[in-house]
Amino acid sequence: MEYNYSEFAAHPEEFSEFAMHAPKATMRAPSFALEDLATGATVQLSEAWQSGVAVVEFGSFT
Amino acid sequence: MATGSMDDLADRFANRAVRSVFVYTREAHPGENYRHHSSMDDKRRNARAFLEHSKVRRQILLDDLEGSAHRAYGSLPNMTWIVGRGGMIHYKSAWTSEADVADALEGVLDFQANRAKQQWVAFYSERSAWSTRDLAKFKAGLERGGPQAVADYQRMLESNKSARAAPSEDVGPRIPGNFYKTRDESDKR
Repeated sequence: MEYNYSEFAAHPEEFSEFAMHAPKATMRAPSFALEDLATGATVQLSEAWQSGVAVVEFGSFT
Repeated sequence: MATGSMDDLADRFANRAVRSVFVYTREAHPGENYRHHSSMDDKRRNARAFLEHSKVRRQILLDDLEGSAHRAYGSLPNMTWIVGRGGMIHYKSAWTSEADVADALEGVLDFQANRAKQQWVAFYSERSAWSTRDLAKFKAGLERGGPQAVADYQRMLESNKSARAAPSEDVGPRIPGNFYKTRDESDKR
């Protein structure tokens, strides 16, 4: 399936994929370069947990 | 999406060395008004519209166009993760429930505060969680996206009608992410 799909279609396996294959609690969290919407600057996700605990929510407008 | 209550949670915990961020992903329910992203400019435009609408107070971070971060964390539309200082994952949730995140966060902060005593060790655990669902708000979100978003979701409901029925009085509806199967269903596998 194309990542940026143009039409929503449920994929029944995506939740079991999340449970089984996404990183698990007690593993090291992967970090990625992301763009700060407010400033346009590139930041590392790991900066969020560099000096404390991070809560990371994923989502979109739709 | 519980953006308001998650912002409130972020405010409540900010003075306890908790940083909250929102990672903007692909559009979960693209429609005529907010289409799928063909470029980073599309993604920025929709993210700014989201900010304007939801007034999110947390830092919004845009994933790349290919969804590298989103895919690495499991690709679900509204997950929440809690990561401890140094990078250990303490919590992963298929959906975002402010109450469940707050509960988990208290446990994580307790652990962080006490592990220095060398008496606490973190261990792996799984559990189910629950949240209330504001269907009217969800439908309003689909309508905001446009008629296509509404139609695509309706089509999914029709195709999954039987799977979404409550299997018993004891077990809740099989919403996406609930793996429950009846004994008959399990035996068929």
